[in-house]
Amino acid sequence: MAKVLVIADTKQGVLKNSAAELLSKAKSMGAETAVVVMGCGIETLVPSLAAAGSDTQYIADDPGLEFFSAGPYASCVVDAARQFGADFIWFGFSESGKAVAPRVAAQLDAACATDITDVICEGDKIEVIRPAITNKVIQRVKINAGQLVAVVRAGAFEAVEGVSGTENVVTLSSPAPDLKAVVKEIVSEAGGEIDLADAGVVISVGRGVKDQTGIDLVKELANDLEAGLGASRAMVDGGFMPHYKQVGQTGKIVAPTLYMAIGISGAIQHLAGMKGSKVILAVNKDPEAPIFNVADYGIVGDLFEVVPILREEIKKIRA
Amino acid sequence: MKILTTVKNVVDVELNIHLENGAIVEKGLQYVINAWDESAVETAVRLKENISAETTLVSIGSGEDNTKMIRRGFAMGIESGIQIDDPALAETDSSIYAKVLQKVYEKGSYDLVITGKQAQDTDNGQTGIILAEYLGLPCVSNVIAIEVIDEQHIKVSRLGDAGTEIVELVLPAVVTVDVSINEPRLPQMRSIMMAKKKPIDLMDLAALGITHDEVGGAALKSEIIEYTAPEKREGGQKFEGDAAEITARVVNLLATEAKVF
Repeated sequence: MAKVLVIADTKQGVLKNSAAELLSKAKSMGAETAVVVMGCGIETLVPSLAAAGSDTQYIADDPGLEFFSAGPYASCVVDAARQFGADFIWFGFSESGKAVAPRVAAQLDAACATDITDVICEGDKIEVIRPAITNKVIQRVKINAGQLVAVVRAGAFEAVEGVSGTENVVTLSSPAPDLKAVVKEIVSEAGGEIDLADAGVVISVGRGVKDQTGIDLVKELANDLEAGLGASRAMVDGGFMPHYKQVGQTGKIVAPTLYMAIGISGAIQHLAGMKGSKVILAVNKDPEAPIFNVADYGIVGDLFEVVPILREEIKKIRA
Repeated sequence: MKILTTVKNVVDVELNIHLENGAIVEKGLQYVINAWDESAVETAVRLKENISAETTLVSIGSGEDNTKMIRRGFAMGIESGIQIDDPALAETDSSIYAKVLQKVYEKGSYDLVITGKQAQDTDNGQTGIILAEYLGLPCVSNVIAIEVIDEQHIKVSRLGDAGTEIVELVLPAVVTVDVSINEPRLPQMRSIMMAKKKPIDLMDLAALGITHDEVGGAALKSEIIEYTAPEKREGGQKFEGDAAEITARVVNLLATEAKVF
């Protein structure tokens, strides 16, 4: 039986969705599952980690792990992978995952695949599926190494109801801090904002919203829907929105249940970051905007007129 | 301070990619400098302009396009260039790239390595980080700002999950940069002309002390066996006309047809 170790991402002590999604996939492959979680004061997560489908929970709970630092995080994952005898080590689609996965692969001399959307396991054959060249092609990649470290793309696997595991806690020893890369502070502009990666609804603004007034208008809609607010590259480059809100190949790749593109024309770069969304709604005054080629529903119109109506109509239908 | 920056020649993502029998059709492809690497070059050049630094660029690749790209780096302000060209590197993975770069680094005793955070052809985002592991150097990825503190320390900003992480690094170190770190300059005609005369240090694997067995066949931890076209997402229903009427209709469809509300 294959052994899958999932790295559980947390945000402010709360488990992110990726752990349950990855564990569900592992269970569906008939694998033995374990999870590793790192942070400070995270032991309380054990029951939910077991419920999400893990049979063993490797816990590294240490004040030194409160802030993300790639070196110590990688040490914990390598430690857990060795103790568990993992064949697969899966990270969720987070910045920490992208930073730690190659380190773990190098330390274990394992293969590393990022951005994967599927894993195929047949006998000894292991293959992964992943998009490349800004989503223009899909690669089928054969894994030759005995172990595979992978970063799984957002929305690739679904958390399945009825999956469960058992509580079996293994405490990891505290890793040494990285004295050569010291995290001095974390400047959080995001505060209590909804994380784009975890939001069920993501609403992004593009050049069409023009300025702060337009952004504020869309923000009201986002607040109503408890949606994550994203942006096109143009809005970020123009200084209207912070970098961490950029949706696209060079920013965040999201796959929410509903994605609303407001005043976004739909450059390839942007489409690569949101094409995996389940349902896409686009509002743009240019009927020829490329965004309409991927949108399930398109409203051709002035967003300053449409967005307030959208708010009202959604309120009505949800009431 | 000695800075090494890495550049990769990649397919132009603005053009269409055609596939045939599970492979990419070479004909009609154009090659450009990887956007993230261009930012890495710009980062190195700006550091050089602000502090006293020597800059070197290394590229693994072959052909006219690759040479042109190295010269573009010169025109942007990089002083020396190394090209690693070897037929055994036709098929590689990130760890092999990292292994080759490790040998290049060890030949030159650099203080800082700057790579793009990923290449736009593979979108792997691994090489710089694995290189740091092989070299046993501290590393920060997804960097959006660099500040030199002194000869031994730099301070970088990294876009992380919880916000912007401010990290102090002890040199030598490796950083991988995001495109948002800067707007790469367009080289001036005069610099382009001067760059044409600069020598490029051409090396094969033997010159780096790497045998072909170490990079090909069994050494590959993974290999791409097939390319397919992504599932095309079709446009759905597009509505034009009275804003109030079409918006109400779309919201109704989102609830009844798409069932998102």
